[in-house]
Amino acid sequence: MQSSARNSRQKKWGRPFVLGVLLLFGFSAAVYRPRTSVFADSDTAMKETARRLAERVAAIPGLHGPLRLEWHPEEKWPEDEGARWLEMLRGEFDRRALPISGEAGAAALAVYAEETPTQVVLTARTQIGDRDEVRIVAVPRAVMPPVEASVAPVRLERQLLYEITDRILDAASLSNGAESGLGVLLYRNFELIALRLDSKGEVTQTVPLNVAGLKPARNPHGEMAPHGNQVAVELWGRTCDFSWDSPAEVKCRAEKSSSLERSAWRMGTALTSPCDESNWTVSEGGNDPTAREVLRLVPDGAIKGSSATVMSEFPGPVVNINAEQRGGSALLVVRNLRTGNYEVYRIKLVCGS
Amino acid sequence: MRFTESSWFAAASSTLLALVCGTMLAASPRYGGTLHVKLRAISVSLDPREWKPGSFAAAENEKLAGLVYDRLVTLDDYGKFQPVLATEWTRDGSARNWQFKLRPGVHFSDRTTLTPGEVVAALQATLGRSFEIAAAENAINIHASRPAPDLLEQLASGRNFVFRVQPDGTLLGTGPFFVTESTAAAPVEGNPAALKPARIKFQANENCWAGRPFVDFVEVTLGEPALRLLFDLQVGKADIAEIAPDLVRKGRQEGLRIWSSAPQTLVALRFDDALSAPASDDLREALWLALDRDTMANVLLQREAQPATALLPQWLTGYALLFESPMDLQRARGLRAGFSAGVAGAEQPLRLRVDAPGDLFKLMGERVAVNARQANLLVQVATSSSANAPASAVGLRLFAWHYDSLSPRAELEMFLKQVTEGGELPPNTTDPEQLFTQEHRLLEERRILPLVFLPDYVGVRATVRNWNASAWGDWRLADVWLEPEAAGAAKVPGNTQKDSSTARNPGARP
Repeated sequence: MQSSARNSRQKKWGRPFVLGVLLLFGFSAAVYRPRTSVFADSDTAMKETARRLAERVAAIPGLHGPLRLEWHPEEKWPEDEGARWLEMLRGEFDRRALPISGEAGAAALAVYAEETPTQVVLTARTQIGDRDEVRIVAVPRAVMPPVEASVAPVRLERQLLYEITDRILDAASLSNGAESGLGVLLYRNFELIALRLDSKGEVTQTVPLNVAGLKPARNPHGEMAPHGNQVAVELWGRTCDFSWDSPAEVKCRAEKSSSLERSAWRMGTALTSPCDESNWTVSEGGNDPTAREVLRLVPDGAIKGSSATVMSEFPGPVVNINAEQRGGSALLVVRNLRTGNYEVYRIKLVCGS
Repeated sequence: MRFTESSWFAAASSTLLALVCGTMLAASPRYGGTLHVKLRAISVSLDPREWKPGSFAAAENEKLAGLVYDRLVTLDDYGKFQPVLATEWTRDGSARNWQFKLRPGVHFSDRTTLTPGEVVAALQATLGRSFEIAAAENAINIHASRPAPDLLEQLASGRNFVFRVQPDGTLLGTGPFFVTESTAAAPVEGNPAALKPARIKFQANENCWAGRPFVDFVEVTLGEPALRLLFDLQVGKADIAEIAPDLVRKGRQEGLRIWSSAPQTLVALRFDDALSAPASDDLREALWLALDRDTMANVLLQREAQPATALLPQWLTGYALLFESPMDLQRARGLRAGFSAGVAGAEQPLRLRVDAPGDLFKLMGERVAVNARQANLLVQVATSSSANAPASAVGLRLFAWHYDSLSPRAELEMFLKQVTEGGELPPNTTDPEQLFTQEHRLLEERRILPLVFLPDYVGVRATVRNWNASAWGDWRLADVWLEPEAAGAAKVPGNTQKDSSTARNPGARP
């Protein structure tokens, strides 16, 4: 009997028409598609989570008077991330007439922030008489804003230009008369895509590079070289050309000498110092894809490890480097190990400091 | 021969070039070689339908199954679900109806194409009857009998792999490797008392949709004793080997590179049903108060474990820190003083059976008995001769539970189904506050007394590169590559030198 009931359900569920109707009208709540940009409003998710916790705490029966907030941020977080959360929480508690006080005699309200594999969990605990009251809210980690990496003062100046959740293989400067922009080569969902960004970092063009015969790779490596509106893209075993003006026409040819064999970024990239026109070459890198990377530039003629080396630590491994025109600056692709995002930096040497 | 300035310059330049190239080579991933993996398990099953949730065996099976099968989605280290066999997914507002669009052009290792029907068949077998799964055009639809906002967590963990059952009953996958050889354990020739360990050899899937893995083969040896594994790592007979928690310190002292996961195993006590009755409330409470979890974690397990006061670990729920250590010997003794005659643990010893395998867990059982004695409670660890005593004679069991799921709700549900045999299931929600309330209530019953959380420990040789296992124990071996042995490295008989030296540069495919 049970079995026949199950068969009947399966048969009903199997009807494509029923499913089609269900899907057409029912699926609206959440959609995953590979993302093309990140974090439109960086603080919204954080504020909303703090608001929900404050609301839940304010509703605890018998909770009155000033509260002594004991803040226990996630251990892995950098100080500024914990501070941002604390500021949000204080604001939301204040808004709900839960004044936070530093007085030792005030009732303690302990708030813990913990990261699980998928969520940030905020837990508030306080005691009303001999009763423990616990309130918990959670937010998916995937919607949380990235942390602004604090940049130590260095002689190598850097500027974060763009970040995205997809794997960036390379980035190159684009200039079209007075306008400047950025070309970004992505490996998204096992497909190659070239993005054109304007000077504000907005995507103005997306070109799927459907490269026939290109096998997926565990360590995809690509380099893009723009010449005006034409772009040459070197991949593992293939070289392709396309134009931003006619992106549907992507021409590819097989290459015997695959860039996959190099599989490391452009090691010989050099920057020119604005102070004395000397050239500084990237000396090493790419040794550990699981660690933060210290980029080292050595002036021509100096030996490795000399005190003249300029160093700058990035929040993850350097994936690629691409010198810009005139050699005064370069674009650096880095995987941020904290957020998992890929980031494009412009680096240049500055005099003094 | 006179060394001219120009020839000196040329020599210096070539040396510099060689140094730079050396650096570049070190930075480049390498294809080829055999990765030697050694495990303590005597046997493994690559059929996810057979795995028993919560068991050590299921955890080891899952690690190896990840070589052969893919999932619909995976979870990265940043809390984001990443597409694998599914390229897109949607769900409705009730979280009961989900649709997964399937990646086109995915092939099994025998080069046949993966179809939506095969995905349905595999997931229907692993997800169970509370999900109805149907094939659609290049997609599958999953209808849950109750809201399943944690479906992605479930699909990204546990046994929810995609596979095809062959007519002969074997399973095929779309993953980075396939099984090429499998030999069962057999008596050693000339010494029948000794066993030659079982071996499984996995070969790289050249046509894997996500790209060929770096190593050519993964050779897994099973059933190696714990101490032997440590030795094999030292002498280069293993590239990756499990390390028993009680040997981690020794391994570290000997300079081995040891990786640990987030706590993956709960070691706990469970009272039998007869002792779960209200009449035994004081006994359960007294033992709860007498347990010295800190000493177990810090002394017995040499700081390689964490005291456990919750059923689910902190890394999974985020709220386990709210369950504080309750040790209070004074109160335990006070409760014991009020016991009436005939209560187990007073005049008659409470029998403790160790259900988890290995000497370590026996030692923990003995430690429980010592703690109980400090509160004047009598606990006797069942010896091997008394292990077959009738079930009624056993009042307490020490067991280990290995976490399988990335969903706290699903994990708690599986735990309760298996451990309490039909106890109250968690609320149908992923709301952490409700899960906390449920777990709190369960712990208040004192039928299950958590002792310690244990991480998984793995020894990894320095020549294994890009070892980037997830905190929850996914080894990600397809992304690992082997660096050649350093010149002049000690050669050991039977070492893996021969295989490692076959490593090639990328692109040089066989």
